[in-house]
Amino acid sequence: MKHSIKLEYYLAALIVITLLNTFLGEKFSSTTLVSILIAITVTYKGFVVIDHFMELKGANKNLRFLMRLYFVIFPSLIIVSAFY
Amino acid sequence: MKSQPINNSLGIFPKSWSEEHAGRIPGNIPIWVGILSELTEFGIFFAAYFIAKFYYPETFAQGPQSLHTSLGVTNTIVLLSSSYFMAKAMSFIRVNNKIKCERYLWLALSCGVLYLIIKTWEFHWNTLQGFSANTNEFFTVYYYMTFNHFIHVGWASCAILWVIFRLRRGAYSSAEHSGLEALAVYWHMIDLMWILIFPLLYVLR
Repeated sequence: MKHSIKLEYYLAALIVITLLNTFLGEKFSSTTLVSILIAITVTYKGFVVIDHFMELKGANKNLRFLMRLYFVIFPSLIIVSAFY
Repeated sequence: MKSQPINNSLGIFPKSWSEEHAGRIPGNIPIWVGILSELTEFGIFFAAYFIAKFYYPETFAQGPQSLHTSLGVTNTIVLLSSSYFMAKAMSFIRVNNKIKCERYLWLALSCGVLYLIIKTWEFHWNTLQGFSANTNEFFTVYYYMTFNHFIHVGWASCAILWVIFRLRRGAYSSAEHSGLEALAVYWHMIDLMWILIFPLLYVLR
């Protein structure tokens, strides 16, 4: 059940990242660096769900590309919005 | 003029988009039409958020501080767990273990219901604090986005119930489970949208 163990590992990573993001948002005023860190982690979380939970890794490459593109565009806007 | 080769399943796509060339489509094509439509809908919400934040930076900097962050974090963990349970359900139907598959579907459904309860409590808590969709631009976007997401979790939870019913009737097996897989990818899409909504509304100042 190697695949299952991987799923548990990814779930733990996603929860830790969520808590880390919240800590960053709560403890630090929204600096550009914090926004960039949050944007990168959002992209990572999106990629994990797309590839390992949704199982698009190794499935249709066009669908995977579209889904991953979504998680590049909107986190990029988070970074852009940090410069408002 | 050289004619374009077409996809066997719908006859409207180039051959390079076919499953033989691009890879297997999880679930079925109709659910992906639905998912891509939903992504467009939420994309409009996110665009509205960034435009509003550009015009009202102060309101959007203070908005997240008015929300109950713990409830937002809890709901994020609940939805991530639900996605995990859904992925486990898929792994068990592939080995024809219907009992464990059903068990994980119930766990995913429980997470969906828990999310709905927590979100309802959060809306109630906001009302007690005097916040509504008319409070300011941040709360307009907040209700616009989260209530829409709430509805999606609601009907997808009903869909899990339907899939459990079909599983019990023997509709799914290791050989044929495209309906179950279609629900699974839709559920993950809902989780993905929350992954974006959470930092925008609760974390970024």
